[in-house]
Amino acid sequence: MIRYSFITILLLLASFVIQQFLPAFTGMHQSRILLVQLVFLCSAVTVEQPTMLLLAFVGGFFWDAHCALGPHGGDPEVYSQQVESLRFGYSIFLFAAMGFLMQGIQPLFKQGKWHFSALLSGISIFLYLAAEYAIINFVRGDFVFSKATFMQMVFTSFLTMLFSPLVFWLLFRLASACDHSIYPEAGRKRQRAF
Amino acid sequence: MKPLNLIALLLFLGGAVWAFTQSERGVREMQGLYYSAMGPFLKSGSKMETEARAFLTETRHSKELEVELSAVQGELGRLRIIGSRVRDLENENDRLRHALDYKKATHFDVVPAQVIRRQPTTWWQTVDIDAGEERGIGTQLAVLSSDGLVGKIDRIYKDQNRSSVLLLTDEKCQVSARVEGSPEVGILSGQRGRFDGNPLLRLRFLSTEATLRPGLRVFTTGRGGIFQANILLGEIVSVEKGALDSEALVKPSVNFADLGTVFVVLSADP
Repeated sequence: MIRYSFITILLLLASFVIQQFLPAFTGMHQSRILLVQLVFLCSAVTVEQPTMLLLAFVGGFFWDAHCALGPHGGDPEVYSQQVESLRFGYSIFLFAAMGFLMQGIQPLFKQGKWHFSALLSGISIFLYLAAEYAIINFVRGDFVFSKATFMQMVFTSFLTMLFSPLVFWLLFRLASACDHSIYPEAGRKRQRAF
Repeated sequence: MKPLNLIALLLFLGGAVWAFTQSERGVREMQGLYYSAMGPFLKSGSKMETEARAFLTETRHSKELEVELSAVQGELGRLRIIGSRVRDLENENDRLRHALDYKKATHFDVVPAQVIRRQPTTWWQTVDIDAGEERGIGTQLAVLSSDGLVGKIDRIYKDQNRSSVLLLTDEKCQVSARVEGSPEVGILSGQRGRFDGNPLLRLRFLSTEATLRPGLRVFTTGRGGIFQANILLGEIVSVEKGALDSEALVKPSVNFADLGTVFVVLSADP
């Protein structure tokens, strides 16, 4: 269990590296594959709450380091109404919220029904993006929600979700390599059948 | 709740609050460390992205050429392909000459750079360029193209000879702007949630008596300490009058969908 938890953290860190190779799809409303969030979500459903929270902290922390913009700069007398940035660390909370959502269907996952989790990962990504965009609107004032933004969220969630079976397969292999079962109930059922 | 879960939750909250309360400087230092560790991967990622874009462009051209080939066949078709390649090279040559002339004609001390990565984050309009502090670039420097203002340097990647540019189309990139032939000045910035192609910019805080018409050009005022004066920003598309102030939509002079060579302004003549 400890070995598997440690490997999920390494996998999350590795996803940050791979994310650098995944550009935005300019022809699809600038949508992209959010591999970091996907690896976190898929891992979150396979681990216990303390590990999920650790993953949320690591994922959110590094994601903010990846995305945070610098200060506005310039003369505050001229730029008196500066546009606010999102505070560093907000992603940690968003990651944790998504993690709790994924853990909500952990009983189903433990029965071997991973496809529900795969579907929920897409929904979680959409909710994550929606929450992030809502926070931007809240911090900066004025609620602006264009069709392009909605399409970007939909395409990003869908594209990311398509890769969830691959991530689950990888997690399953890693768990096997660590002699850890991420489908304990499904395994017991199989044993009973025999 | 299990005691272990409770302890983990408390530790998580403590860590999150610690991260949330970091100062701007602390955040920058952590970002510096993160990007130092990511340096080699960023370089490979950018290279791959540049090559993929070049491949896609080439594929698009190949398809056009295939249509031509099927239409004319034989030798004529082959010559047309060669002709089209020559035209591409001519255009490229013209573009490079134009850029070179621009560098010579400008009153600024500029550093040319190539865009190597587009939109690396979800919501912010940024690009990465292949010039960094080794070439004298620092944060908050203006970035131009031969058509006008592109944005400003937002972040320098230490020891990697690259930097991140916050584009004019981002809501956070504010520019003090004036409208030609009128006393009107305002703040120009991008619009939230507009990512496709060349989104229009918002010129706000104009007076209610502003007599502006579409087609008037918008330039930087030089006030605010970041952007030099008289850099072309775009031209007015429409004007909307409000109760307290007016607002204009501005079409940027730069084609942000096709950014190639840009120039970072190190210093400018007074």
